Amino acid sequence: MFQVPWSEYSVDLWEGLLKTLSYTAVGFVGAALLGLAVALMRLSPARPLRIPAVLYTEVFKNVPLLAVIFLTYFGLGSIGLKLDAFQAGTLSLVIFYAAYLSEIFRSAINGVHGGQQEAAEALGMRRISTFGKVVFPQALRLALPGTNTMLVDLLKSTSLLVTISAAELMSQGRLITSATFRALEVYLVIAAVYFVLCYPLSQGLLWFERRIQAGTPLSVGRRRRLRAAKALLDRKMSAQEMSTQEMSAQEITTPEVRA
Amino acid sequence: MTEVTENRTATDVLTIAGLSKSFGGRLVLDDVSLSVHRSTITAIIGQSGGGKTTLLRCLNLLERPDRGLIAVDGEPIFDRRVVCRDLPELRRSVGMVFQRFNLFPHLTAVENVILAPLDAGVPEREAVERAVGLLRRVRLTHRATAYPEQMSGGEQQRVAIARALALRPSVLLFDEPTSSLDPESTGEVLRVMRELAGDGMTMVLVTHELSFARDVADRVVFVDGGRIVEEGEPGQVLGNPREPRTREFLTHFSQSHQSKE
Repeated sequence: MFQVPWSEYSVDLWEGLLKTLSYTAVGFVGAALLGLAVALMRLSPARPLRIPAVLYTEVFKNVPLLAVIFLTYFGLGSIGLKLDAFQAGTLSLVIFYAAYLSEIFRSAINGVHGGQQEAAEALGMRRISTFGKVVFPQALRLALPGTNTMLVDLLKSTSLLVTISAAELMSQGRLITSATFRALEVYLVIAAVYFVLCYPLSQGLLWFERRIQAGTPLSVGRRRRLRAAKALLDRKMSAQEMSTQEMSAQEITTPEVRA
Repeated sequence: MTEVTENRTATDVLTIAGLSKSFGGRLVLDDVSLSVHRSTITAIIGQSGGGKTTLLRCLNLLERPDRGLIAVDGEPIFDRRVVCRDLPELRRSVGMVFQRFNLFPHLTAVENVILAPLDAGVPEREAVERAVGLLRRVRLTHRATAYPEQMSGGEQQRVAIARALALRPSVLLFDEPTSSLDPESTGEVLRVMRELAGDGMTMVLVTHELSFARDVADRVVFVDGGRIVEEGEPGQVLGNPREPRTREFLTHFSQSHQSKE
């Protein structure tokens, strides 16, 4: 059954794989940044910001990705704005996925309890710190599951770029097929490569999600402050040698993991 | 109106004069005037919906009054409009404890206390030391690295008190701090508040804990229908009220509490 000389195509496959990963990375980072900007615009009290954001989201949520790819590659090319396959491909992924991510981010930011903003305000925190240190970290936790799904979905959608010969995995598969005429074998292997990429990615993201939900401090600053607080508590405890608080001392040696 | 503040700056932490506020045409505060002296406890009592919480929330401008004057430490912050140049700075000197705690759920207890001082520019080391000291003061060092959802209501409220104290405010506002707590947790929180009172902290609290108000407060203010109906020493207002409306409220209150027990 397996008659394709794979060793001859290993370089092509490898290059396709790297290309797929580049499309995914650039596309996702761009989409996340644009999506956050659009979400903030939609949450703004100013109508001139809100209306274009709503229009943007609604338009790109209701247009197929393939149409967006053709528009940016062939459409813009026809009016003199010639983009190469990588530019057109990443641009399509960014504008298409930003629409979905903006919806996820918007509902996550909305999902942070109003009392949180108020508590930060009452503590004299300014708007930017309130957003950055109170609202955003909580919204991030709420947005994580949806965002992770979108990342895996984006990776798989890079295969649509085969239509503009973007040199990613699927395009390489098509080239190998046209050289060997072994469509079943080639596309089985290509599908397997996608699976090998996506499955660990989604499992890894799930693990990351669970760690975040468990409250594991990820930022260097948080870890440092927690260490400093614990050192201070330990010192005071041992100085006082309070036998009654031995339990407490044990508890504070590691951050408690949430149930 | 500025006369009022000038005369009382020496002892008054808070001065309110002719404060009014309405929500959608409904008058919630109607020409309220009140002074809070340094190192005193003022308990605001009254029926739900009577304007107590709105009054408290006006004091750090979480709520904007429609009319009147508010001065903190002799400095007008509101005089028919917000005249406070730096709202965050004002709020650092007027701490607030909420009914539903409003701790930051993504941070541990000690980080909840550290956050605001750090944001206000206190060096990290000092902010951490301050936070640990405050957790000791509310007897929660053993819960320093717990997240809010792992703590009981009483513990959360004590962390919230430590958090409000971390900026060393000149006055602390409590909005029904024990209303969502069970009796045991209520006891823990009231104990901490009693100690704060003993340390000379200026406090304004909206409360339904009349016996606590009687024991600890220097002044009791009965608010009804957006107006201050009666104010005075706790023994007088709660024991021998002058106003029929106060008497009616206290009678209903003690009846409903007896029936609960």
